[in-house]
Amino acid sequence: MSRYYYYLILINMVANIIASVPAILFQYHKDGAVSSMIFGIVAGTILVTVYTRFFNAFPGMTLPDLLKKTTSKWFYKPFLVLLAVMWFLAGLITLVTFTFLLIRYVTPEMPITQISLTLILSVIFGCLMRTDRVLYTVELVLLLTFPLILFIFYKAYSSKSLNWDFVKEAALYVNQMPHVNSFGACFFLFLGVANLFIFNRFFTQKQKFKLKHISIIGIIATLTLFTTYFIPIGFNGFESIDKLVYPWISTSDSLRMEFFMIERVLFVFLFFYLGIAFLSILIHWHVSMEFLRFVFNLDNIKFKGFKVGKFIPVSIFIAISLFLVRRLNEYQLFQISSTLYNGLVIIFPLMIILFFFIKRRMKDAEEAKQN
Amino acid sequence: MSSKDSIKWIYDQFKDTNELIEKNMEYDNKHLLLFYIKSLIDMDMLEKFVIKPFFEMSSEEQLNLYLHALPQFQEITSKEQVQLEVMKGNTLIVIQNEYYLLDFRLSKNDEVNQTSIETTIHGSQLAFSDNLATNINIIRTNYHQPSLTVEYIVEGEVNQHKVAIIYDKDKVKTNVLDTIREKLQKVDKQLISSTTQLNNYINDKPITIFPQMIMTERPDRIIYNLAGGKVILFVDGNPQAVATPAVFFDFMTTMEDNYHTFVISLFLRILRYAGLFLSLLLPAVYVGVTSFTPEVFRTELALTVAGSRVGVPFSSFIEVLFMLFFMELLLEASIRLPKAVSATATTVGGLILGTAVTEASLASNIMVIIVSAVAISTFVIPVNEMAFSIRVVRLLLILITSVFGLAGLVLGFFVLLMYLVNMDSFGEPYLRIYAFSKNKKSSEEKT
Repeated sequence: MSRYYYYLILINMVANIIASVPAILFQYHKDGAVSSMIFGIVAGTILVTVYTRFFNAFPGMTLPDLLKKTTSKWFYKPFLVLLAVMWFLAGLITLVTFTFLLIRYVTPEMPITQISLTLILSVIFGCLMRTDRVLYTVELVLLLTFPLILFIFYKAYSSKSLNWDFVKEAALYVNQMPHVNSFGACFFLFLGVANLFIFNRFFTQKQKFKLKHISIIGIIATLTLFTTYFIPIGFNGFESIDKLVYPWISTSDSLRMEFFMIERVLFVFLFFYLGIAFLSILIHWHVSMEFLRFVFNLDNIKFKGFKVGKFIPVSIFIAISLFLVRRLNEYQLFQISSTLYNGLVIIFPLMIILFFFIKRRMKDAEEAKQN
Repeated sequence: MSSKDSIKWIYDQFKDTNELIEKNMEYDNKHLLLFYIKSLIDMDMLEKFVIKPFFEMSSEEQLNLYLHALPQFQEITSKEQVQLEVMKGNTLIVIQNEYYLLDFRLSKNDEVNQTSIETTIHGSQLAFSDNLATNINIIRTNYHQPSLTVEYIVEGEVNQHKVAIIYDKDKVKTNVLDTIREKLQKVDKQLISSTTQLNNYINDKPITIFPQMIMTERPDRIIYNLAGGKVILFVDGNPQAVATPAVFFDFMTTMEDNYHTFVISLFLRILRYAGLFLSLLLPAVYVGVTSFTPEVFRTELALTVAGSRVGVPFSSFIEVLFMLFFMELLLEASIRLPKAVSATATTVGGLILGTAVTEASLASNIMVIIVSAVAISTFVIPVNEMAFSIRVVRLLLILITSVFGLAGLVLGFFVLLMYLVNMDSFGEPYLRIYAFSKNKKSSEEKT
């Protein structure tokens, strides 16, 4: 597989730490969080495999292209708008979460609008870039931030404050039945693969996707989920972990770099996760923007010769984000994320039926062409 | 071309110049008419190769053959060419009603310069010369490939400068070459005098912070770029060449890397990138940390910074801009000043101003250290053009940080990366990571 493919999956996995995924999991820490993680990994890996296999069969084709060829207008247009809204929401959740993080921990005096504007403005013009350039940006930013994130994980695992007894205690709850909310949160980790809906445009050659590649993804996912769930428990204890609003922030704040210029790992964590959040929003909104561009033919909207079409969704994106950032609070955000994750659990496996349909139609079309 | 008309035409063309010399020679049934511009001609050569043989040869026939055999000999294709070539230093010869050009131009600028911009410790110290023919000679002596191609094009309506497009036919990307040719044809300017001017005229986006062509005076860098499939542009009378398409990493390599052992050049490369990041981020980090989030640093360091700022009446933003402004002035001044004075200027500026500013508590001690560190690390960037761009971008980052804080700095830096990635240099992405895998076939393609 191309390395860019892994980036798409990796970012969604790593970015969940600052999204509501750990908080949702801890909510059900006594009601089957561990078992839903196991189910989540199995189901997620299967989903990744099916999705990748499907798009690998049509190199260079995006989902809108395929839908246009195989389905009628009344179906694919509303469907793509729905997808665009979903992708926009996924980016928005990351955006609002990080805005809250920044105002809580870095610049409490700054107006929240200004903070969210920092993020929105930096991302928004990236969404309008070409798909290959988005991936190059992803690679560069990952290259700069990822070593430090690995360093933080290393710090966490090697810390004396990490109490493995709590971790063992948490693991004992494996016999509980999984809960749909926690399963949804785990499942969300794997949905990075769905970015192929648009990013498949970049992979114009047929790629190898064998058991080796699937197991790489499975292993990375297991490690990420394990770290996400058990490290905060090891640091903060098991009993009232569900009371923490930002479990990972509290965890990283219990780490110290004794001999470095920056003593509190919290700030390293925040500023480098800012990079991951940036990428996550960038990818999601780019996909959303591309769906909208396809549905509404935005390239054809002109004003005095300038192509203004793509700036219409941009302004809508900015307006909605600014409005919601000011209206929402942490609890509502948590509820919304949880609901969205649950919705995704239903929608994305159902999409596989659509894939079968498309595959069938494409095959028919090819056979018709040959005859 | 009937001879009388043509001579009249020539007179018409040159009636405005008083330097055109006409020499009519007749001897022993031989007849020769010469036109040239005195100040452009190598008199010795003219005398040795034309005038002397004229009197020695036995017949006009022989003289004609002799002239044809001269290496400086050039056929005429059009009337306009005559005027142009004579103005460039060719001699027009009329013999037996036939017109020929002989290239006896005198150039005083064909000596090779010493490197002055991209200096190195090891390696060749010679740069290009001001003369185009010499420069092409230098390239050809260093790059022995029959596929090396040189094309000429005349630019500038008034000064009619010769521009050379040089490339390796086997390695160059044809679409890049075609765009460059096409764009060069479209350049409609009165005066073209430097390669960098072309850089500005043939780019898609004239307003850009980063250079899309790499300007260099070093032959070894040009050879390296030719082998990499780049197109080189030379302008006559200009010792700097530009190579395109250029990517960001081109600006971060120096030719000296080839003269060191692997470990040393790796170390130098790391040093260079550290310098790049320092000069880009340090002042902005100072603003962000002192004015927005002092708790990022460990307590002792935060206190030291705050302590050194005691008595400074400005916000950190003003302080940084104030000091950077003087640093930039100092840099500019030391370029413009005569060599004898520039040492004094740096002493006055650097030492006296630096000490006085902290004693007057207009800036903190740490600020002075930061500004000097930034100034030094800017010089580490090997290609001067990139250093200039970094100086501008640094100011932008300070501005962003003073509005949005440290988070703004981090995101601003990512936006800078995004801007660079989104930039094109003649169809090549300006910044991306290249993977050198053994199997050549890449698994993805440009969209």
